[in-house]
Amino acid sequence: MTTFRSMVSAAALALSILGPALTVAPSNAFAQGVLKLAQTQDLVSLDPIATSDNPSIHAQLLIYDTLLRPSTDASKLEPGLAESWTVSGDGLTYSFKLRAAKFSDGTPVTAADVAFSLKRAGSDASSWKRFFAGIDAIETPDDRTVVLKLKTVFTPLLNNLALFSSAILPQKAFEAAPDKFFEKPIGSGPFTVAAWNKGQALSLKKNAHYWQAGKPSLDGAEIMVLPEGNSRTLKLQAGEIDAALEIPLNQMQSLGRAGTVKTAVANVLRTDFVLLNTKKKPFDDVRVRQALNYAIDKEGLVKALLYGAGKVANSPMPLMAYADPDLKPYAHDIAKAKALLKEAGYGDGFKTSLLVHSGRPLHRQVGQALQSALAQIGVTAEIRLVEGGTHWSTTKAGDYEMAVSYASSDTIDPDQMAGFLIVNPERANAYHTEWKNERVNELYAKERATKDGPERGAMFREMVKLSHEGAPSIFLFYPGTPYAYRSNVSGFEVLPTGNFRLEDVKMK
Amino acid sequence: MLTYILKRFVQLVPVLFGITLACFFLLRALPGDPATLLLGARGGAEEIAAMKQRLGLDLPLWRQYLLFLHDILSGSLGRSVVYGQPVISLVLERLPATLWLVAYSTVIAVVLTIPLALWSAVKRDRAPDILVKLVFTVLLAIPSFWLGLVLVVILAIWVPLFPTSGYGAGLFSRLHHLTLPAFVIALATASLTIRSLRSGILNVLGSDYVTTARAKGNATGRTMRVHVLPNALISSISVLGAHTSWVIGGTVVIETVFALPGLGSLFVESIFARDYPMIQGLTIVFAVLVVLINLATDIAYALADPRIRLD
Repeated sequence: MTTFRSMVSAAALALSILGPALTVAPSNAFAQGVLKLAQTQDLVSLDPIATSDNPSIHAQLLIYDTLLRPSTDASKLEPGLAESWTVSGDGLTYSFKLRAAKFSDGTPVTAADVAFSLKRAGSDASSWKRFFAGIDAIETPDDRTVVLKLKTVFTPLLNNLALFSSAILPQKAFEAAPDKFFEKPIGSGPFTVAAWNKGQALSLKKNAHYWQAGKPSLDGAEIMVLPEGNSRTLKLQAGEIDAALEIPLNQMQSLGRAGTVKTAVANVLRTDFVLLNTKKKPFDDVRVRQALNYAIDKEGLVKALLYGAGKVANSPMPLMAYADPDLKPYAHDIAKAKALLKEAGYGDGFKTSLLVHSGRPLHRQVGQALQSALAQIGVTAEIRLVEGGTHWSTTKAGDYEMAVSYASSDTIDPDQMAGFLIVNPERANAYHTEWKNERVNELYAKERATKDGPERGAMFREMVKLSHEGAPSIFLFYPGTPYAYRSNVSGFEVLPTGNFRLEDVKMK
Repeated sequence: MLTYILKRFVQLVPVLFGITLACFFLLRALPGDPATLLLGARGGAEEIAAMKQRLGLDLPLWRQYLLFLHDILSGSLGRSVVYGQPVISLVLERLPATLWLVAYSTVIAVVLTIPLALWSAVKRDRAPDILVKLVFTVLLAIPSFWLGLVLVVILAIWVPLFPTSGYGAGLFSRLHHLTLPAFVIALATASLTIRSLRSGILNVLGSDYVTTARAKGNATGRTMRVHVLPNALISSISVLGAHTSWVIGGTVVIETVFALPGLGSLFVESIFARDYPMIQGLTIVFAVLVVLINLATDIAYALADPRIRLD
């Protein structure tokens, strides 16, 4: 009897602890027309000026509108909340004509809301102040017109206005409760927040006031967190979810074979590379850096690691606007690599270390492949597997020799990536490689003050070519982003900027 | 008993104080800080400095530590850097999933352990004993994520009895969703408790009072229930208690495979992001939970064995 009593008390204890958990949470899992989409991580915040993680950014782009937005093929900017815009001849005045749009609470989007949101995005409280630094004054001559005044020409501005951080918020609703606003934010985008169960799912419902008539056709979307790649594919196969992001590449074929699931690869604006610390020997010598580029069979990496879903990279810059089709990647040429090393005084090779992010399966494989490829030219690379935070802090502090890494772009204009990857000094000093080229810096300043067009394009092409020759990293590949959806879903697409729009998605 | 429980809570205070010190300063020894990592590739020196100032990371360490103590005493446990919300509210959102998992898996483990250990002990060195030993040794050796995935393929895809993952809402749906993950944890727990209970039973079976009980003509079932089990349980209760304490923070793999919003994954994410207040707050919560489990273990001792007095 003693045993029985102890078990009863244990059960009673458990129940008393679990009591509050027994309440039923709302769920729209069985609603019709709700797209269930799985991603790897939960979002962090819906405040567009305070976030920098992709899940948050992608969710914000479904809830809020921006004045302009990149077209789905990333070739140009298209109207968002602004139905038209003009830039003055001297490039210092931008005028936007707003369309008749409403926020999800039914109030109209006014010029005052735009001015408020852009001022907030450029304020000290914003993590992205830099993007709006060029704006000197914001004028609102009438409810539907916004005029931005600049002191100096700043061409990337239009693209920055298409960024997540330029989301337009309703001034009155925000100011009524600034602390609570982002728990259930109001925007003018196609969807609005129904519930956010942290760590599980963000439930979105259709914005009945959305300005594109008849859209979205979905009643809502459930953006779920499924960190494990196998769990995402299993749930997709079982029909428990309708779409999933970041499918493990080795499962793409078998997933597609069943016929109930369609797979696709998005051409995102991303480059994977191995950063070389040009402050340290022997990476201070351009010949060594070029030799390393010649030593790697990048074509082979694309085939073996990406299952063909990608292209060989010719520079650190992603394949985007103004890319030079004639700039060829470094060929796989061991003899040339050895000759260059010899010329640089490293005929017998050298010992070095390779920093790898332990949480990125693809980069762990890259690390292994590079280690054996470099051994062929006498370079012994010791792999140092570290967790993400350490990886970032170590490379940022310049306390590394080689590091597998990548960069992806939020905008379709190469300015953001150039500033990050090849300009020094800038915010990351050529992405922690400390590579420095005065001509690149000069062109960067010039391109920002030059109107969009062939002249600006030529500047970018020259910058990219210089970075190709200077080889601040081992350029690996432009990987595609694999995703999959059930065959009853149509119109689901991951865009080159990595996000997805759901207003055109239909479910049968 | 009440005095005893109160005393245990008073003893908790210096333990927690030590934990705050160790946790606070060890965290600062890790490379990287929340502002740099949160802003990542998109942040420059100016943005990082501004964020550090907003988060109070530019203050001297001792002041940051005092602020941390203040946050504990105020009950908010501070504000998460990543989520921008009070740590305590984030913890309370995730706590139910962890408690469900811990409770459910413990129940399954106990239900598996008692009959299997009895069977194994009674049929010592015969086929049932060897079978139980073999199966549970193999189960102990299998990594739980792999076992989880295999169970999902078999019991959620081939024979769709259970959902592949997720948490569910409402009592029945929640139990339904949590059966597979709880079972995977319970198998690991049971492989330890079955062994310890089996040897406990074997020890007791050889003792004089069991022989006396049998000599008095007690039926085997009654001897087992009244004389053998209660005496054999003690060591298994401590194994169960220790393992349950581990489950509180150690279920991250199971949480990942089954997409459960528990504390384990929150803890790991927070460490990756160097979300200092979150890590500190969670450490305190884990410490309190472990102390509670130890307390429950001690109470279970006293209930199982009347000779043990709690005072």
